[in-house]
Amino acid sequence: MTLEKFTRIIDLYGCKSARWPQSLLAECESFVTNNIEARTLLNQQYQVDESMAKLEVPDFPGLETRVLNQSLPERNRGFFEEVISWLIPDEYFGKQVWRPAIAACIPLVFGIVLGNYFSFGIGIEEDGFQYWDDELAMLSLTDYTETNF
Amino acid sequence: MGDRPAYQRLVKRHLKSISHYVYRLLGNPKDTQDITQEVFLRLWINAQKWNSEKSKLTTWLHRIAHNLCIDYLRKHARMQTQDSFEDEVIDSSSNNEESTDGKNDETVRVRTALNALPENQRSALSLCHYQGFSNKEAAAIMNISVKALESAIARAKRNLRKTLAETHKD
Repeated sequence: MTLEKFTRIIDLYGCKSARWPQSLLAECESFVTNNIEARTLLNQQYQVDESMAKLEVPDFPGLETRVLNQSLPERNRGFFEEVISWLIPDEYFGKQVWRPAIAACIPLVFGIVLGNYFSFGIGIEEDGFQYWDDELAMLSLTDYTETNF
Repeated sequence: MGDRPAYQRLVKRHLKSISHYVYRLLGNPKDTQDITQEVFLRLWINAQKWNSEKSKLTTWLHRIAHNLCIDYLRKHARMQTQDSFEDEVIDSSSNNEESTDGKNDETVRVRTALNALPENQRSALSLCHYQGFSNKEAAAIMNISVKALESAIARAKRNLRKTLAETHKD
């Protein structure tokens, strides 16, 4: 162990031996015991640490109020964020509950409109009604009571 | 939770830590309050830029504070900050009953020694010693490597030891 190396350890890990690297602990302790310069260095660092601990930051009365009350610009929200905040407002959600309800109805309305305009390949045959009419007539003609099961 | 309640909650949670860091870098209460206010304004404006996977919010806020302080220190003459420090110490000592017991002298010495440090050393020491950040987090806040941070801390401690030892001799 050299004084330079010990100084580096003090600078990095502080004065408390508990924080020194385990692998160097015994070597450092022995160095402090046997080297007067190491002890001086350690004492100086103790004094620095103590002095630094005494250094207090003043209170800033009113700072919190000032920061909380500062005028904040309107934030540029994205389209998605705008939609969400309209659907689920921060305040008065109870009164605005119709908004998510309306939003939930949109797919239904959309489906009705779409279904009204497009057949999507499902066509009604022109003679379909006639077919059903024949079917009903045939049913009425048939006397099922005479059928032998 | 809406934007404003979230903002209020974050201010209440981080104000003390940010204002203390800013004060330790600038050393005068008036500019500390201005810069702290600006930090939270930036939080409001740039909230979308924060990446939770990249850094903790406190680290991000300290980084904003750090950058604002560095800008401030570069814009203003260093002597001005030094004067503010001394003015404040004089003000506080005139109001402080403890000024006669030597405690204030010690505080003045430490403050002066800390303030005499280059800004990167003062910042490194503040982040690791007072703010409780790990070396890795402090390095990220200062946008330097961990090795550079450790070197800054080591130099800061040496400078403080030297300055305080000299003042003790006087």
